[in-house]
Amino acid sequence: MNPILRTQLAGVARRPARMLLTGLAVLVASFVVYATVLAQQITQRSIVDGLSGTPEAVDLVIRQGSIDDRHLAAINAIPGVSRTSAQTEIGAQLGGQYLNISGDPGSGPLALVSVTEGRYPSAAGEIAVTPRTVQLLGLKVGSTASVDPGTGKKVALRVVGVVKPPVDFGNDAYAPASTVLALTVDHFVQGIYVDVDAGTDAGPVRDRIEALFAGAKDEDRPEVVTGADVRLAEARDAASQIDQVFAVVGMFVGIAVAAAGLIAASTFRIVFAQRMRQLALLRAIGAGRSATFRALATEGALTGLATGAVGVAVGQGAGFAVPALLRGIGWNVLNPGIPVLWAVGTILLAVVISVVAVLAPAVSAARVAPLEALRTAAGTGARTGIGVPRWIAGLLPLAAALALAGYVYTNLPGLDERDYDPQMMLLAVVASGALAFAALIALGPVLVRPVLAVTGWPLRRLGPVGRLAVGGVGGSARRAAAVSVVVALGVTLVAGVLVGGASIRALGDRELAAAAPTDFEMTGGDGSTLPEEIVTRAKASGELTRVTPYRRLTSAKIAQFEGTAVTDLDVRALPRLRDLDVRSGSVDELKPGTAVVAGYLAEMAGLRLGDTVRVENQGRTVSLQVVAVLGDDAPLHAGLLVVPADLTAMGAGGGWSGMLADAARDGASARTEALRAMRAAAGGKTEFSVVVLADQRDALDAELATLLGIALGLIGLTVLIAVVGVGATTALSVVERVRESGLLRAIGMSRAGLRTMLTLESALYGVIGAVLGLLLGVPYAWLALRATGANAPLAVPVWQLAGAFLILVVLTALAGVLPARRAARVSPVNALGTD
Amino acid sequence: MQTQSSPPVGHDALAAVAAVDLVKVYGAGDTAVRALDGVTVGFERARFTAIMGPSGSGKSTLMHCLAGLDTATSGQVLLGGADLTKQSDKVLTKVRRERIGFVFQSFNLLPQLTALRNITLPLDLAGRRPDAELLDRLVTTLGLAGRLGHLPSELSGGQQQRVALARALVSRPEVLFADEPTGNLDSRSGAEVLGLLRDSARNLGQTIVMVTHDPGAAAYADRVVLLADGRLAGEIYQPDITSVTDALQKLAAGR
Ligand SMILES: Nc1ncnc2c1ncn2[C@@H]1O[C@H](COP(=O)(O)OP(=O)(O)O)[C@@H](O)[C@H]1O
Ligand SMILES: [Mg+2]
Repeated sequence: MNPILRTQLAGVARRPARMLLTGLAVLVASFVVYATVLAQQITQRSIVDGLSGTPEAVDLVIRQGSIDDRHLAAINAIPGVSRTSAQTEIGAQLGGQYLNISGDPGSGPLALVSVTEGRYPSAAGEIAVTPRTVQLLGLKVGSTASVDPGTGKKVALRVVGVVKPPVDFGNDAYAPASTVLALTVDHFVQGIYVDVDAGTDAGPVRDRIEALFAGAKDEDRPEVVTGADVRLAEARDAASQIDQVFAVVGMFVGIAVAAAGLIAASTFRIVFAQRMRQLALLRAIGAGRSATFRALATEGALTGLATGAVGVAVGQGAGFAVPALLRGIGWNVLNPGIPVLWAVGTILLAVVISVVAVLAPAVSAARVAPLEALRTAAGTGARTGIGVPRWIAGLLPLAAALALAGYVYTNLPGLDERDYDPQMMLLAVVASGALAFAALIALGPVLVRPVLAVTGWPLRRLGPVGRLAVGGVGGSARRAAAVSVVVALGVTLVAGVLVGGASIRALGDRELAAAAPTDFEMTGGDGSTLPEEIVTRAKASGELTRVTPYRRLTSAKIAQFEGTAVTDLDVRALPRLRDLDVRSGSVDELKPGTAVVAGYLAEMAGLRLGDTVRVENQGRTVSLQVVAVLGDDAPLHAGLLVVPADLTAMGAGGGWSGMLADAARDGASARTEALRAMRAAAGGKTEFSVVVLADQRDALDAELATLLGIALGLIGLTVLIAVVGVGATTALSVVERVRESGLLRAIGMSRAGLRTMLTLESALYGVIGAVLGLLLGVPYAWLALRATGANAPLAVPVWQLAGAFLILVVLTALAGVLPARRAARVSPVNALGTD
Repeated sequence: MQTQSSPPVGHDALAAVAAVDLVKVYGAGDTAVRALDGVTVGFERARFTAIMGPSGSGKSTLMHCLAGLDTATSGQVLLGGADLTKQSDKVLTKVRRERIGFVFQSFNLLPQLTALRNITLPLDLAGRRPDAELLDRLVTTLGLAGRLGHLPSELSGGQQQRVALARALVSRPEVLFADEPTGNLDSRSGAEVLGLLRDSARNLGQTIVMVTHDPGAAAYADRVVLLADGRLAGEIYQPDITSVTDALQKLAAGR
């Protein structure tokens, strides 16, 4: 064996913990990779097991093609058929609303729903509804819904129960298939579930069912498949969605792995620098440069092997422990397997990362001059400048990044630009960002000092401990840069997601301002008007506020467009309309003789600010001056907003077309109360339907929150590795600086002072990284947002960003706490030692 | 004149720092080493004292205990009459910061701080401003005037050690401890530093305790204290190279 390697290995054997510390980032990365593989397995197994929509008891499914109630009866008569359930679903009109009525047995092995209140319908004309339907449509148990099932005739259906459905859209009713079929004209069903007698072979039953349809035309003949196949297909479908999700996860894991590589390179550099004297000694007594390099590279590979194996082992342990824990709290989660190939692959990946990471540090360590052995100073990372090659390696990608960003900037789409291809532009933004990062890695050491000069200012004022911390970080700019760059990577991603999220939310708010200006809207059916007393009752209710009735004409002709809606809704009465996307002019200018035009209409009719718009309605013509053009839609999907006098001039009658209102207070229960009040105002008449516009807002909020949560969670992996890197770096630099710690203690620094100093140092790594990250992340988020072509405003969520900044700095500070405590225990006698 | 707690020897009330029956044991059981085996010795105020002895005789250990860097197993360390051995780390830290100065063999300057900042570091830590006049005089005497803005890596060994000396003196410590301060210096720089130490004792009234194994260095001192096997083995007043070398040879022969 190479004698240098033997020396190295002897060192490793003496201090195995330090090897793990060197490779801690790689360890975490291989844990993350392997845990992701296991998580995918767990999810897949659990979902395939549990989340198929077709009940377990279904042996055969007859679907597609043309099936009616006579087929159903014939199948029921086949020997061996234990029970059937007809899958049938119709849409019915309820006042101005839509009600979905599905057939379901309500109980037994084929049922998809179960009763939670009242009973399941048994007689014709009875239905059960879902909980949200009770809320939204006011269909309580005991009430009667007068519906038109598409036949043109109204049928009264009595609500006898509430059921728990697989999914609740808030307009769902269930009844036995016979009831549903009775409502239709043609008695067709969409499919039939068949449960075969226990112990009976489904094959012959299937043949007999197929024989029933033998005479049907090809396109009418339904297919008969086994329940197992259907369940499998459904599970596969769910699983492929999981695969897609995990593909995205994999991308983030990839970024985290790259971050781990950066950290590992930095820790190798520190470790080798600590051994500079020893290496120099070996060189002095005749070790060759390439042999030294080989020994160091081998050590890197071994580190990768060890940390990769530990990471995989820990991952496998967690893979069994976490499902067990989840089962403990009642979740139905299965264990993962032991995917040996993946385990080996992960360990190999760890080896590869480590070898790549160790190359550059090993090259420079092998270049150590034998003379170094005779020098006394053993500091590392003390060099602050960078050489010419490194400048070039930094400035080239920087120039390329700027050029790409500039290209994207000059080619940003205008408003509503057509034929715009966002994909290319987004790719350019991502490439520019990656190049900027490459530049940051190379130029980091020269950036640390300026950033430190600004951010370290308050610390320096804090006294000698703060000054020493700033000095310590600035004094080893290379090390600080190596760690901070990884923190910056995490912060850039976090900032990008936060800015993107806030901007999408702002865009959503803008669009929802027109679509959902209030929590509720009440309308009569077509053409009917709301009686005045409904408005009066609503205004009197303490649960409602901003009750705003409006009139709406739907028959106006504007320019060549007939049937354009015009409304006199008081825009100023509703605060949410402040968010309206106003492209030009001002909504506040609206007064008699003027109009606000929806963006789509302005575009189609070629209307601009200051133009005159002619409105024709029932033989009358009104000319109005355009005082504002909106982004796209106007509130209530109108084309034109005018004042009441002008609407009257167009021939609108005195009755209200509808009414908007907000819940008086925030919160779910207040909204439910308000909804009840709206219904009460309608006096129990179901033809005045209430729409909960707030649901659209909630849906958007929930969706955004989920997306943001997932994105941040995934970025958390990179952040975790960055924090681990800060911890490992601080720990290693503490080892390297025992002398310095001892000296500070010897000349009178207290233990607490030393602890504070080292903790501040690691916090400063976080500060530098976070500052660099924000400086990169926010502009790139903005550029990416503009490049998507979505006309989203740039929203900078200052508090969220400040919060993310703070959390990161606290995390990196915490990463330094343990090493700092160790250092503080160093006896001052260490300062007097001679080596 | 003597109170009961004072050391029972002739160097008495003048002692700036003293050890009384000091014992220090490293390790336990079979491997236990008695590095100090009942040492009683005082170091006079405004005097330059050297501690000498064969390698492993306990010189460094004695100095560590006297300076409050290490805790003794038993016995007392009296600094200005007060016992240090029973004090908490907090008190010892304060003592080191305010009453004691150090010069190390390996300079031990912070690489990221300039010479000036290194000099004023103990005062910074104590939150005190340097006495401008003293600082000025030290810088001039130590010949550091043109070097204050330099980093340690830009200074020669002798210059670094003079910076360390300035650092030790700038807080006007009651006692200045030096552990082989010339061990890493060439003879000319070493002589310079030793001359400066002697001058601070003579001219500034600085109490100095220095550990060395070099008779040439010890000859700069006012008095030499000899240690052997963790015990006091004699002392020499107004030493010169010959007397010190003789004494050391006798010690080595007696073993
Ligand atoms: N930290 C320690 N642990 C164990 N033994 C020690 C330690 N420091 C010193 N010793 C032992 O104590 C004795 C005196 O050491 P030291 O005071 O360093 O001697 P000197 O400075 O005179 O060479 C020696 O035998 C040495 O081996
Ligand atoms: Mg010694």
